[in-house]
Amino acid sequence: MVFLTLSCWIRNRGPDRYWKVQEVLSNARHFRGRKNRCYSLAVRAVRRAFVYATKARKIKRRNMRTLWISRIAAASREHGMKYPALMHNLVKSSVEVNRRVLSDLAITEPKSFLSLAKLARARQQEGFGAALGDGKEPPGVFSRIVTLQ
Amino acid sequence: MSSFTKSAQQWATFARSWYLIDARMQPPGKIATMCAIRLQGKHKPIYHALSDVGDHVVVMNSRHIAFSGNKWEQKMYSSHTQYPGGFKQVTATQLHSKDPKAIVKLAVYGMLPRNLSRRTMMQRLHLFPEDDLPEDILLNLTEELPQPREIPRRLNEYSQEEREAFPTLWTPPEDYRRK
Repeated sequence: MVFLTLSCWIRNRGPDRYWKVQEVLSNARHFRGRKNRCYSLAVRAVRRAFVYATKARKIKRRNMRTLWISRIAAASREHGMKYPALMHNLVKSSVEVNRRVLSDLAITEPKSFLSLAKLARARQQEGFGAALGDGKEPPGVFSRIVTLQ
Repeated sequence: MSSFTKSAQQWATFARSWYLIDARMQPPGKIATMCAIRLQGKHKPIYHALSDVGDHVVVMNSRHIAFSGNKWEQKMYSSHTQYPGGFKQVTATQLHSKDPKAIVKLAVYGMLPRNLSRRTMMQRLHLFPEDDLPEDILLNLTEELPQPREIPRRLNEYSQEEREAFPTLWTPPEDYRRK
């Protein structure tokens, strides 16, 4: 027998188990069921949650873009244009406004958005005229802007 | 609008409107897409799926919808009572005679996103088989939407002058006999 006196039988475990457990449980407090109280269940749920959070950083950018696109589509339909026509004609008029700013304009600056929609509509009509007409120079200016390199 | 207070502007932006659609002689699918867009709120630049920005839609004359082609006889609506041998299939005509609102209701239900807000959006859809709407709904209506399909006129609805002014391809000779 190695431990011959009583004092040698005492084991000193780690002094900080409480704080190590709280480190995990504090991230699980808003979960449903026993996962927010019981450490073994919470550890697994917290790991899944962190994995979802890392994956979601890329998905958030995708979701934001689809939201901007649906908002711009709604606003352009209010002015009688469709989203693909609006974006294509803005690109052809070399207006490089991105979707985030366009959706913000549509919400907070409706008159500016209306003017952009009218610009796109004019460029669209000129495109139709150039395609269907007899190749004469139209009176407008939009189609004569330098095309993108 | 710039003279409104911020709270009044926000109240006006997020208010729920009531739209009216007349479904007489219209294809129910086109009616349903218009309804679904407005029930979700996708016609507003402030749209967000969680923001509950959908509006109310009132569809009248749903008894007088017009399917194109042979869909009245060929389109089948299926259901199951969950009992064995309980698979039921009815044609569009049979379903329409049993319940004149069911075709438009099922069409809109299938076009809404499959999440928990679908049931709330269906509660904001009001269907009426004829054009007699109750008083409280008539008081709420804000806008009538244009019909998606232009209703063609029957031959007897054209006046004699319009019939004569219509361009003809050829005029038959005097002794031409039609079969």
